[in-house]
Amino acid sequence: MINTLSNDELIEMIAQEVLKQLNAKGGNEIPQREKSCENKTCSGTTSGKMELLNKGEAAVGKRSDEVVVAIGPAFGISQTKTIIDIPHDEVLREVLAGIEEEGISARVIRVLHTSDVAFISHTAAKLSGSGIGIGIQSKGTTVIHQKDLEPLNNLELFPQAPLIDLETYRAIGKNAAKYAKGESPDPVPVRNDQMARPRYQAKAAVLHIKETEHVVPNAKPVEIQVVFK
Amino acid sequence: MKRSKRFEVLESRDVNKDGFVKDWPEVGLIAVGSPNDPKPGIKIENGKVVEMDGKKREDFDFIDIFIADHAINLENAEKYMSMDSLEIARMLVDINVPREEIIKITTSITPAKIVEVVDKLNVVEMMMALQKMRARKRPSNQCHITNVKDNPILIAADAAEAALRGFDEMETTVGIVRYAPFNALALLIGAQTGRGGVLTQCALEEATELRLGMMGYTSYAETISVYGTEQVFVDGDDTPWSKSFLASAYASRGLKMRFTSGTGSEVQMGYAEGKSMLYLEARCIMITKGAGVQGLQNGSISCIGVPGAVSGGIRAVLAENLITTMLDLEVASGNDQTFTHSQIRKTARTMMQFLPGTDFIFSGYSAVPNYDNMFAGSNFDSDDYDDYLVLQRDLKVDGGLRPVKEEEVIAIRNRAAKALQAVFKELGLPAITDEEVEAATYAHGSKDVPDRVVVEDLKAAQDLIKKGKTGLDIVKALYKGGYDDIAVRVLNMLKQRVAGDYLHTSSIFDRDFNVITAVNNPNDYMGPGTGYRLEGARWEEIKNINTALDPNRM
Amino acid sequence: MDSALIEQIVNEVLKALNSTPGEEKKKEPAAKCGEKLGVDDYPLIQRRKDLIKTNTGKGIDDINIENVMNGSIKPEDIKITADVLLYQAQIAEAVGRVQFARNLRRAAELTAVPDERVLEIYNALRPYRSTREELLAIAEELENKYGAVMNAALVREAAEVYEKRGRLRA
Repeated sequence: MINTLSNDELIEMIAQEVLKQLNAKGGNEIPQREKSCENKTCSGTTSGKMELLNKGEAAVGKRSDEVVVAIGPAFGISQTKTIIDIPHDEVLREVLAGIEEEGISARVIRVLHTSDVAFISHTAAKLSGSGIGIGIQSKGTTVIHQKDLEPLNNLELFPQAPLIDLETYRAIGKNAAKYAKGESPDPVPVRNDQMARPRYQAKAAVLHIKETEHVVPNAKPVEIQVVFK
Repeated sequence: MKRSKRFEVLESRDVNKDGFVKDWPEVGLIAVGSPNDPKPGIKIENGKVVEMDGKKREDFDFIDIFIADHAINLENAEKYMSMDSLEIARMLVDINVPREEIIKITTSITPAKIVEVVDKLNVVEMMMALQKMRARKRPSNQCHITNVKDNPILIAADAAEAALRGFDEMETTVGIVRYAPFNALALLIGAQTGRGGVLTQCALEEATELRLGMMGYTSYAETISVYGTEQVFVDGDDTPWSKSFLASAYASRGLKMRFTSGTGSEVQMGYAEGKSMLYLEARCIMITKGAGVQGLQNGSISCIGVPGAVSGGIRAVLAENLITTMLDLEVASGNDQTFTHSQIRKTARTMMQFLPGTDFIFSGYSAVPNYDNMFAGSNFDSDDYDDYLVLQRDLKVDGGLRPVKEEEVIAIRNRAAKALQAVFKELGLPAITDEEVEAATYAHGSKDVPDRVVVEDLKAAQDLIKKGKTGLDIVKALYKGGYDDIAVRVLNMLKQRVAGDYLHTSSIFDRDFNVITAVNNPNDYMGPGTGYRLEGARWEEIKNINTALDPNRM
Repeated sequence: MDSALIEQIVNEVLKALNSTPGEEKKKEPAAKCGEKLGVDDYPLIQRRKDLIKTNTGKGIDDINIENVMNGSIKPEDIKITADVLLYQAQIAEAVGRVQFARNLRRAAELTAVPDERVLEIYNALRPYRSTREELLAIAEELENKYGAVMNAALVREAAEVYEKRGRLRA
């Protein structure tokens, strides 16, 4: 059974967010910390048991045996866990492990110009030497993408973030690696819970708004070195 | 604190598992009337809108430009904009004012104005208005047919049953995108097995959806999404111009289509610009009008949890359906997504469209159990069929469904599964076993059917497209497989594209392929004794639910 | 005899015929001289069968199972024609649906454009896909190659708006 969030917790979280919003001086202005991240001197962030080091603008990969994993603008920075409170370091660890156990190398980038998971993952695919990319939003929604597909198409889509557990993240990494090897893996079994929306949609909206506030229009994706601690 | 036992009981109620939030207008988390919503207004110079809803033309975003240049009938716009919104609101509920007269006004005003008008109404008045303003006289219903395994045999069987139960339109989608051709094919065959003339669609990425339509696997499309802010529109990977072109592309292939939008999508996608959900939705509806599309699916749709969480949200959802009809568009009015754990709340939400009737009360009643609903669950599902039939009977309301007998359902499910088996064989697709046919015939859902070899299915499904197998190949396969009558029905669906009659507003077909639209069945409601009345044979049918005892036999 | 080959040849010929840059054929069809269709003509399939012809000149009732099985009905025959779309546009106008009628008229123009090209043009109109020049070239193509004047205007309008709003490909 998935973690659930009580109404009290949700209301409290939103109330805090409202207060934060009210306290902030400029409504839509990008937080200062994020702006400095855009220039390449920014050293990175520490989140839980991992450190995300910015290594400058991400380039198109030359190796055909790589999968690029793109994280959203707030991933591991202002947000550190998914909608069901899985820590981001564990998410990334599982995805990368899944890729690597297939003998494929993984490269992590941060997408800043959009918070939309389709475009995050499509950006990953376009920068990937194999043409296969994974995009992960901070709330946990994930897509496996291929560079020749339309952005809103995908190889595999995991739209219901509350249903994605660590096992699934590992399977996602593994399958992406198999696509990169030119295989046709069995898709990760699709899950469905009709009560996820009533329970989580308002929270998902808030988390997405929060991530979207960290979007930097026109910013190039940044290469990330992940150091697990 | 010592806990009150009463509060403890209340806390455990289903409704308290739902997510609710307080209004947060700064980011647009508000149903109607954000302080950031613009005030209505229009200025026209030399036949061009130079100012709309408090914004000068040079400050227009691309949605403003599109609405100003395409959606508003300018001839009398200044006159109607100067009318008191309260007066227009009263005309909506005045049975002496015909629909046509209101349409003249409401197609000539701005988004802010139309929101101001509907905001004068309470929900009962909105329902009265919806009863009068919907385009087609006869109400109807649409269903979802999907399953978590993308099992095509089950899709065919479920579609056949749903057709028998009375749905006029059916929508499928996929768990895995590459399954799409199979899902569309199975839905087409299943639906036409159930009864001739059911319209079918497969919700996919825009370009892929059009391709399946062109090839004859589907007869209409609906998931052509539009959004109320420019940034979200772009994140949806489209513009009003690309969507307009797409609209014409569908019509050019003889395919019916409607757009999709809904309150809450902009705030859900993070860019609501602090505007209320209903104001942004009014912009979506006007984009639809401007693109020349015949209809719209709205009623929040997949974002229903967002308006559902704020105050007055469900009223706003009804208001958006109403605005759609006020712009003379077909409305497929939502009710297609779970938004609550509470049976009371879910029923109340649906009554808003069920009671007045709309072109499609649900734009997806789940004709499969919700665990199989790949739109992440609908407000009503196949387990609610009998409740729904009783609601129709209790209130003498035509909700589009009819009572059915178990033996006829079993028979039709079996026939659809067998027809698909034959088509798979003729087209050289991975075989469907007799065991699979049997399982799909009696299944409640995908838990009751055997797994297929997914990788083989996916490859074969893609090959159908690569080899260019069209609707005609499906007709031939059915005929060769011995299903002449179903072959003729599938062919009839193709034939209808050549005539184009069902491109018109609010189209459905009856079982004899007679088209019923707002052109030949226009809503003429003007109070008691007019408009659609549930009576005669249809009322007899709705009355006779299976569980009603016959006093003569007691 | 290879029927697939014949089918292919027929399709090629039809394609060639459809794509002739003939402008004159774009004239509004009329049932009788100057007649505009209205509600009484609807539905066409029942009331004005005489007006419906397929791309290869067959009548609507020629689309039947026998002709499908004997191969005389081709994919081209189950496509709506420009003329029929224009008739439907007249009916839409008769019931006051101006924008919808305009859409049907644009659709009539697009019947001449092959499926693949329609999909490509749609994708080219999506945000950040095309430069201004590319969009203008599409407009030229629509106008000159297919006689699609209304669609060309729509694409030109898009080019202008996209430029203003920064939605062109960088």
